Amino acid sequence: MPTAKEQITTTILAVILVLLFFGVLFLVMLAYYNFRRRQTAKEKKEMQAAFEEQLQQARLEIQHQTLTYLAQEIHDNVGQILSLAKIQLSSFKEGDPIDFPLLHDARENVARSLQDLRSLSKGLHAGKIRSFNILQAVDEEVQRIRRVGALTISVTSEGEEHDISDDKQLILFRIIQECLNNCLKHARATSINIGFNWFPHQLRVRVRDDGQGFDAEKALRLSSAGGNDTGLGLQNILNRTRVTGGSGDIRSRPGEGTTITVQIPYE
Amino acid sequence: MALLCRKGLNYFGLGILLPMMVVTNLTETLGMNYKLFFTLPRNHFIYNIYYLLLTPMYFYLFASMLGGNMAERRRLRWIALAIEIFLVFNFCFVQGWNDFNTFSALLVATVCIILSCLVLARLTMRKNDEAGLLHDPSFWINSLILLFNLVSLIILGMYKYIVTNHLGIRDQNLYLAIMPAANAVFYAGLGCAFLLCQLQKNK
Repeated sequence: MPTAKEQITTTILAVILVLLFFGVLFLVMLAYYNFRRRQTAKEKKEMQAAFEEQLQQARLEIQHQTLTYLAQEIHDNVGQILSLAKIQLSSFKEGDPIDFPLLHDARENVARSLQDLRSLSKGLHAGKIRSFNILQAVDEEVQRIRRVGALTISVTSEGEEHDISDDKQLILFRIIQECLNNCLKHARATSINIGFNWFPHQLRVRVRDDGQGFDAEKALRLSSAGGNDTGLGLQNILNRTRVTGGSGDIRSRPGEGTTITVQIPYE
Repeated sequence: MALLCRKGLNYFGLGILLPMMVVTNLTETLGMNYKLFFTLPRNHFIYNIYYLLLTPMYFYLFASMLGGNMAERRRLRWIALAIEIFLVFNFCFVQGWNDFNTFSALLVATVCIILSCLVLARLTMRKNDEAGLLHDPSFWINSLILLFNLVSLIILGMYKYIVTNHLGIRDQNLYLAIMPAANAVFYAGLGCAFLLCQLQKNK
C-alpha cells in the first residue's frame, strides 16, 4: 500500500504531467490552426491568380474573335459591296451618256456599305464593351448562330436577374461560347437550349443539345491524362467555372445529347 | 547564447531577454554559493529578490511580444505595477524576505501562463506570411515560458509543503528532482530560440 506521502507525490506528478499535456496540446492546436490559415490564404491567392489568368485569356479570346468578325465583315460584306460600287462607277466614261439606273445602284451600294460600317462601329462601341451584360452578349451570339441557319437555338431566363461582376460575366460568356462551339462542331444537333436560372445566391446556366452525344466521363478522363482535344475543351469549361468559385457538370451519353451545367455565385 | 545572439534578439524586439538571462545567471550563481557570501542558513531571500527583479522584465518582454496599442500597453503597465506592489508587500510583510515567497511564485507563474497564452493566440491570428508560426522565435520562447511555468506553478507553489513533508522520489526532494530538469529544458530551449532569432535576422 502506498503511504500518504507517496500518494501526494504521485498526484503532484500526475497534475504536472496533465498540465504539460494540455500545454503541449494547446501549442499543437495553435500551430495546426496557423498552418490551416496559411494554407487557406495560399489557396485563395492561387485561386485569385488562376481567375486573373482565365480572365485575361477570356479577354484575349474575345478580342481575337472580335477582330476576326471585323475582318470577315469588312471582307465579305462591306468590301464586296464597295467593289461592286467601284465596278459600277468604273463603267462611266467621259462623254458617254449617263446611265442613271446604274448610278442610282452605285449610290445605293455605297450607302449600304456606309450603313454596314456604322452598325459595325456601333457594335464595337467602347461603352458597350465596358458594361458587359451576359444575357445581351449571349443573345447577340445566338443571333449570329441563327443567321447561319443550321439549327434552332433558344434562350430562356428564369428568376430575378442579379448583378454579377463584369469579370465573372466575361468568363461565363466564354464558357457558353465554348459550349456552343462544341455543339456546332461536334454534336450534329438540331436544337440547342440555353437556360439561365437566377437563384438567390447563384446563377445556374444550362446548355442542352439534342445531338449525337459522347462518353463524357471517358473524354474527361482522357484529357486529365493529357489525351484528346475535346476533353481538353471540356476540362477548360470546368476549370473556368472553378476559378469563378462555382461548379460545373457535364453529362452526355452517345445518342442522348449533351447537357452542360455551370453554377456561379454572384459574390 | 543570448550574448552571442543579441543582434538577433534586438531585431525581434526581444533584447530584454539579455538582462533577464544575466539576472537569472547571477541569482543561480549566488543561490548555489550563498554560503560564500552570506552567513544566512537559507538562500530563499536571493530567489525572493529575483522574483522582484524579474517580474517587471517579464512584463516588458510580454508587452513587446504582444505589440498592442497604447491603451493596451497602459493597462499592462498598471497590472505590472499592481503585481509588483503585491510582491514587495509579500516580501516585506506577509511571508517575509527570509522565507521562500510561494505566493509570489504562484502569482508570477499564473501571470506568465496567462500572458504567454495571450501572446501565442495573437501570434497565431497574426501570422499569415510564408514563414509560418514555427519559424517565429517568439512562438518558441512563449511556448517554453508556458510549459516551464506550468511545472513551476505546482512545484514552487507547493514548495513549502514539499519541503516540510519531505515529499520526494527515491529519497530525493521533489523540488530537486523536477526543477533542475525543467530548468535544463527551459534554458536549452531558450538558447535554441535565441539562435533562431539570429538565423532569421541573418536571412
